[in-house]
Amino acid sequence: MKKRVLMKRGLALTLSAAVMFSASGCGSSKGSSADDSGSGKTGTLRVAIWDNNQLAGLQEVADDWAKESGWQVEFTVMDWDSYWTMLEAGVSGGEMPDVFWMHSNNAAKYMGADVLLDLNDYIENDDSIDMDNYFEGITDLYTLDDTHYALPKDHDTIAVIYNKAIFDKYGVEYPTEDWTWEDFAAIAQEISDKGAADGVYGTYCRSNSHQDTWYNIIYSYGGKVITDDKKASGYDDPATIEAMKFVVDKILPSCPTPDSMASTGADTMFQSGLVGMICQGSWMVNSFYTADNADDYAWVMMPYADVNGNGQCDSGERCSIYNGLGWSIYSGTKNADAAWSLISHFAGKEGQTKQSELGVTMAGYIGCSEPFADAFEGMDVSPFVDIEEQGTLIFRPYSKSTAIWEDDASMALVDAWNAPDTMEDVLKQIAADMNKTLAEE
Amino acid sequence: MKKKMSPRAKTEAIWGLAMVTPTILGLLILNYYPIFETVYQSFCKTGDFGKGNTFVGLKNFIDLFHDPEVFSTLFNSVKYAVMSLPLTIGISLVLAVLLNRKMVGRTVYRTIYFLPMVCAPAAIAMVWKWMFNQDYGLLNHLLNAKINWVTDSSIAMLAIVVVGVWSSLGNNMILLLGGLQDIPKDYYEAASVDGSTGIHTFFHITIPLLSPMLFFIIQTGIMGALQLFDLPFMIMDQSSRAWPSVKTITYLFYEYAFERSNRGYGAAIIMFLICIIGVITFILQKTEKKWVHYE
Repeated sequence: MKKRVLMKRGLALTLSAAVMFSASGCGSSKGSSADDSGSGKTGTLRVAIWDNNQLAGLQEVADDWAKESGWQVEFTVMDWDSYWTMLEAGVSGGEMPDVFWMHSNNAAKYMGADVLLDLNDYIENDDSIDMDNYFEGITDLYTLDDTHYALPKDHDTIAVIYNKAIFDKYGVEYPTEDWTWEDFAAIAQEISDKGAADGVYGTYCRSNSHQDTWYNIIYSYGGKVITDDKKASGYDDPATIEAMKFVVDKILPSCPTPDSMASTGADTMFQSGLVGMICQGSWMVNSFYTADNADDYAWVMMPYADVNGNGQCDSGERCSIYNGLGWSIYSGTKNADAAWSLISHFAGKEGQTKQSELGVTMAGYIGCSEPFADAFEGMDVSPFVDIEEQGTLIFRPYSKSTAIWEDDASMALVDAWNAPDTMEDVLKQIAADMNKTLAEE
Repeated sequence: MKKKMSPRAKTEAIWGLAMVTPTILGLLILNYYPIFETVYQSFCKTGDFGKGNTFVGLKNFIDLFHDPEVFSTLFNSVKYAVMSLPLTIGISLVLAVLLNRKMVGRTVYRTIYFLPMVCAPAAIAMVWKWMFNQDYGLLNHLLNAKINWVTDSSIAMLAIVVVGVWSSLGNNMILLLGGLQDIPKDYYEAASVDGSTGIHTFFHITIPLLSPMLFFIIQTGIMGALQLFDLPFMIMDQSSRAWPSVKTITYLFYEYAFERSNRGYGAAIIMFLICIIGVITFILQKTEKKWVHYE
């Protein structure tokens, strides 16, 4: 009897692995449920994600859970666009994965439509989950009217990556974590000046480089993008205006021209050795770690803005935008208990620590991200983790209609990028438009 | 009186019906249902996931007529049609006439001109994107120039037109070749006996006899050009200052329907476009008799 079960399990594992590698589109195989041996129900849970980089690591974490529970976990990976199309169609058609990722761009829409399972009772009855252990911004994001709709999966922060080869070539000193945005601009300018003949630029910042670049600068200068109550725009805040003027007046001159940046992306230029340093999110680490010239790259913590001018980094002067995905369960799933058990394993301390160890992402669980810093042999990624202690984490600005006002702002800023003098007027216009959008929410 | 169907005719009718049923079903489910759903949605304030649509009457259309972006993007679509159609038709006509003669390597040339048709449009766009790249692109390298092909708003549309024309040449050329080969040789012989030569023959025999095919190409060309979506979307980055000069009305529809989750307004935009195409087609059909000669 026992042997038979084992064999069955082995077979199912192989099968799910096969499905996993074929990366089939919409999972059409129904959970092969009801193996009536033992006490609890077992079967297959379908999990949908959009990042192939994370698949291997997450599968490993899921396998630990599968071993204990007897369930199988079948991952489906889709690219970002297909992922949301699949969910959108799945909601109308009823064919949904049991467990899937949620993101700040779409959370409000899904929470408001009864698509996600209400997790409150589960959280209350599960000793391993205490919502206070997670980053507040992420927990808040997936909460609507005091109902939790997702468990935090991870968090990401921003750091600066620089190309040591370029710094060496032009005799510029490597940046250290004790640097201000003014220093950043000066270093970038120095590289641009010395590298002009080779077509090498100091840095890169596009009108839509918000989360990885200028959002961070706005908050470091004490500005904001949206008010705390999410009712009004922060683009007309004097500190925001000052920060954005700094971006176009001090940082932009050491970037490729706006036309060039609109033609070639930051990663491409950086990895081609044409840009000295750029701000990047922790979700991009793997792409730089596996790049051809990875040995030349090093990370350093985000600069601070010396707002009070005392020559040191004070609280709130060094900011990194952070964001986090959530693990959600489909409200119509037939396997709600198992699905909860799985996401509580993913979000629990053990699962979160393992996720960091494997270098999948940093943890959504506060204090479990240390191992991430050592996960990439030969590349020090500690600046992403250090900023939690030595800086201020600001949750990526959002409201119900983020997708609208964020794009509008990026589009409007194209003008300011091409004519820096107009920045203040452009920002005031953005604020007015954004307030209109917010009023319609 | 109507004759009764013979058993054989009956079987044939049944089989015929059975053969077209899949197509009919496909049309009903994939074309007609969405059309009516779109018409309905254009009168609604749509909710997420197709739930909670509320009827708002003509509100979307009233908003639409007060939205300058609708007209600027429509203008871009029209601009593309006006720039690309004459070029496409002119060049493919010349090519078709040239390739209709006996010459060495005729099939090779035909294949080369038709090749863009068998490539995925997205792949074509990606390749052109790199050719147009102002700093590292092939075009500027070859020309030894620094032209901002797709970031200068005064020439960006031209760049898109070049790609559009290039990729639709093959198809139009094949259609026109077909048309050319339908023209009986007698006409040309008679004309040459009467002393007509080259250009004169082309304008007085080839063009008139080719007019049904030209009419077809113009009509489908206008529809296709006004629905342009993929080329600007793939070739340009939206942080380019030239983006507003190439953003088409179908892109505006996509933006509202899929990125801003405002299906109702998106549906209204696309209904507006359908009406415009309808009017143009109607006018074309009316003028058909004046210049299209069927043998």
